[in-house]
Amino acid sequence: MADTPIPLEVRNITKRFGDAEVLKGLSLKAHKGDVITLIGASGSGKSTFLRCMNLLEQPDEGDVIVHGEEIRFKQTKHGREPADWKQVVRMRAKLSMVFQSFNLWAHMTLLENVIEAPIHVLGKPRKEAIGHARQLLERVGLGEHADYYPAQMSGGQQQRGAIARALAMDPEVMLFDEPTSALDPELVGDVLKVMRDLAEEGRTMIVVTHEMSFARDVSSQVIYLHQGRVEEAGPPDEVLGNPSSERLKQFLAPKH
Amino acid sequence: MEALMNWLETQLADNSIFTLQTLGFYGEGLVTTVQLVFLSLIIGLVMAVPLAIGRGSKHRWISLPIFLYCYVFRGTPLLVQLYLIYYGVVFVEGIQETWLWVILEKPFVPALIAFTLNTAAYTTEIFRGAIKSTARGEIEAARAYGMSRGLMLRRIVLPSAFRRALPAYGNEVIFMLHASAIASVVTIMDLTGAARFVYARYYAPFEAFLFVAAIYLCLTFAILYLFRYLERRLLAHLKPASG
Repeated sequence: MADTPIPLEVRNITKRFGDAEVLKGLSLKAHKGDVITLIGASGSGKSTFLRCMNLLEQPDEGDVIVHGEEIRFKQTKHGREPADWKQVVRMRAKLSMVFQSFNLWAHMTLLENVIEAPIHVLGKPRKEAIGHARQLLERVGLGEHADYYPAQMSGGQQQRGAIARALAMDPEVMLFDEPTSALDPELVGDVLKVMRDLAEEGRTMIVVTHEMSFARDVSSQVIYLHQGRVEEAGPPDEVLGNPSSERLKQFLAPKH
Repeated sequence: MEALMNWLETQLADNSIFTLQTLGFYGEGLVTTVQLVFLSLIIGLVMAVPLAIGRGSKHRWISLPIFLYCYVFRGTPLLVQLYLIYYGVVFVEGIQETWLWVILEKPFVPALIAFTLNTAAYTTEIFRGAIKSTARGEIEAARAYGMSRGLMLRRIVLPSAFRRALPAYGNEVIFMLHASAIASVVTIMDLTGAARFVYARYYAPFEAFLFVAAIYLCLTFAILYLFRYLERRLLAHLKPASG
């Protein structure tokens, strides 16, 4: 194959919780360097959609293709499951996730958090992992905090640390699940700045967010979800600047 | 050494109970108690780790037997368990002809078995609780970063659970030390056994038992201190920055 494979593609993702169908056939293609933001009211399915991409949730239907490799599924009596968990583990190592509540491992220092998966999942030599981790911590402005435990840092620092942890995997795609929603307003800026830098350097990112200014300035594509369907999608100027759907207009209207 | 013994002898000269001989009994009792408690705790700890993991298994044929084991050993008195094992083995058909009888005939190994099974049951429950209370988000992060189940258990779940279990486990260690006193009822000359002997010989309950109580207190302090030290080192991550 002449061209490099697309980092991440999902097709026709459907997800049901009991009788409620929360995702109704969603597709998305992330080319290299794309920054795709998913927006929508809470309950629209945007986080669930993101979590289906690295199979933290198992989609009931649809395909997930990471770097040209399609995940194989099988039907069991509990529903649809990946046929080969080793394949899932391998593909998850290519997609790293940043969570709303940071989810740093509390019993490890920040540095240990950052080197953990590169050493034990990717098999990187320890020395190399530490060197890389220190660079990344420097980059997110936490060079002095390497030996702090998560509980000793502010939310903003923890989230920047979590971004360093994600970067340490040299991921194909970074998934952000509402990375600023759990932060105090004055801490949001630092985290968004780090994310803007990443976008500028050409990282492929998929971001679930409520930060409209981030979506407008940084993303290459905005997808507005409503009740598990794509209501509107396209470049940010069109979707956010000139929305055609009534719902999106309401969603974007300043709240009083 | 000689000088020390002489000094001790002069110190003990005008008392009829604490002679070098009875102190020797207490000394041997201390060694026996420490051996019994230490061995049963170590073996129990090693058993409890896989049991606690299995206790949380979604396969009922793994989790149910472990649940029953814990329930029975936590639901019955240790003394009864000790009696069952010590007096019970004699009646196992043919056991007296095997090599096992050589070690089971004496009370030490049956008591060790009873103590081990008992502490393993309690420790299993302590660890299971700690494993269950692992933050969901941390497990999710481990999965999202490509960790297999085994790796996640080894690197994330167990290290964090052991730290959380530390205070409760410290209590279990002290409990085992004190529970070991009942070893003396199956003729083991542990600390309490030594005290009973001295009491019976001199008919001096206060001297015999207060002295042994003081030794238990010292041991308890040592354990408390050890666990306080471990907690300071291993639970540092839970303290906020200012602490």
